[in-house]
Amino acid sequence: MSTGKVIVSAESVVMDYQTPTGIKHVLNDISFSLLEGEFASIVGPSGVGKTTLLRLLTGLMQPTSGTIRINGEVVTSPPPGLAVVLQDYTRSLMPWLTVEKNISLPLKRLGLSKTEIAETIELVLTEVGLRGNQKNYPWQLSGGMQQRVAIARAIAVRPQLLIMDEPFASVDAQTRFDLEDLVLKVRDDFKITTAMVTHDIDEAVYLSDKVVVLYGSPADVKEIVKVDLPYPRNQVASRGREEFAELRTKIYAQVRGLQ
Amino acid sequence: MKGANISVIRRFLPGVVSMLGFMLLWQLGTSFGPLSGGSLPSAINAISALGALFVLPEIWLAIGQTLFIALTGLLISVVLGIPAGVLVGLSPFAYRSLKPVLDFFKVIPPIVIIPIVILVFGPTTEMGIFLVVFANFFMLVFQSAYGVRDLDTVLLDTLRCYGMTKWDEIWHARIPGALPFIAVGVRIAVAASMIVAVVAGLIGGAPSLGQQMLLYQSSGQPNQTFAIVIIFGVLGLGLARIYSRLQRKIVFWTD
Repeated sequence: MSTGKVIVSAESVVMDYQTPTGIKHVLNDISFSLLEGEFASIVGPSGVGKTTLLRLLTGLMQPTSGTIRINGEVVTSPPPGLAVVLQDYTRSLMPWLTVEKNISLPLKRLGLSKTEIAETIELVLTEVGLRGNQKNYPWQLSGGMQQRVAIARAIAVRPQLLIMDEPFASVDAQTRFDLEDLVLKVRDDFKITTAMVTHDIDEAVYLSDKVVVLYGSPADVKEIVKVDLPYPRNQVASRGREEFAELRTKIYAQVRGLQ
Repeated sequence: MKGANISVIRRFLPGVVSMLGFMLLWQLGTSFGPLSGGSLPSAINAISALGALFVLPEIWLAIGQTLFIALTGLLISVVLGIPAGVLVGLSPFAYRSLKPVLDFFKVIPPIVIIPIVILVFGPTTEMGIFLVVFANFFMLVFQSAYGVRDLDTVLLDTLRCYGMTKWDEIWHARIPGALPFIAVGVRIAVAASMIVAVVAGLIGGAPSLGQQMLLYQSSGQPNQTFAIVIIFGVLGLGLARIYSRLQRKIVFWTD
């Protein structure tokens, strides 16, 4: 699923925080890369610095040392072609705007005409299974549907890089499976390079081409695990495969510090 | 249709019953209780005095003057206070610089500046309006400034990642995000405006229900004095109800 072109590269990234009690070393020498069209998950124990790494990738924060490049350019602020889906849909969508307006706001800067914007909204809402919900407000939709709107907003900008932070953490288990499959479908249809933080190892294996395992304090890349499960993947067959169980066991042991 | 009638009865009956119960207690308390024999009017006396007041043109004039002071003052403080607060909130430097000043003026009750204001304006309508604006302005500035500053960090991060301009952030996120805070400020201001409009008359002698009340009190007419309290209550309740409806329309996404 990859063309071999490097989209994201983290080179010896170190991150320290100044806290009232002194300097806290969070990330220690993190390096990895992400090829065009690849899906990478970042896993690790709670508090290891997964979200910090994700914020560095978005350019919202700068590393203490080392560099992050997107498309070869050093990231100092959110780069063009970036889309995000964050954990809490109730906080990332604007309740005072309709679904349509929520999606069209980031589109404005792309210089599309009104018709193109309307067509794009129709297309992405159809893609996420929410056709006809243009005029609804986010709070009129269920949690799973709101997260679908956030995904629709992300793909509407035709991103080069999609960054997701625990995107399915606040929905129930059944909805979670549905959204995982939606992400696989969207990825297949739009060929978007994706980096996702999750604490769910099964989910990481199910969705990813590679899993970046962070461990330690300050955190290092313990291993970059390649996931060779065949596509198309599905909840029953893919999760039932022997490789799936092996990969999950291996990553679980690493996250727990057992290996 | 019948079902609708039943639900209307269910909705309003408990309130009506407790209101009547309160009146009964009032009547009994002033007839037999420890309050009897004093100058506290009984419910029946106060209500019949109220009926008699309604034929007097000066009462209607006083109601009009009170509403004029309260609503003009409210309008001025909203029109000045909210934009000022939004601007202060958008600039961290302005917020840090002005917060002590705002906090200082916020805690000064309008009553304590009445002596100074009378020196400037005299016992006039303008004095009343000024007091209402004084009572509301700093609170509204504070609520609006706080509201624009309080934008959710997850939303702010999301907008920044999508490369939204500062202007979009202000116009589509910060200002609408501040509206619930501003709406609460205006709700407080509506109540405060009525109170201050009456106090301006009661203490400052501005033409309003307060001044009328003072006249009845000093001429030894407790029934009429109390009747004005009832008028004031009904006016305050009415304004609060009207504003509630407006508020539900403006910040429709909150419950």
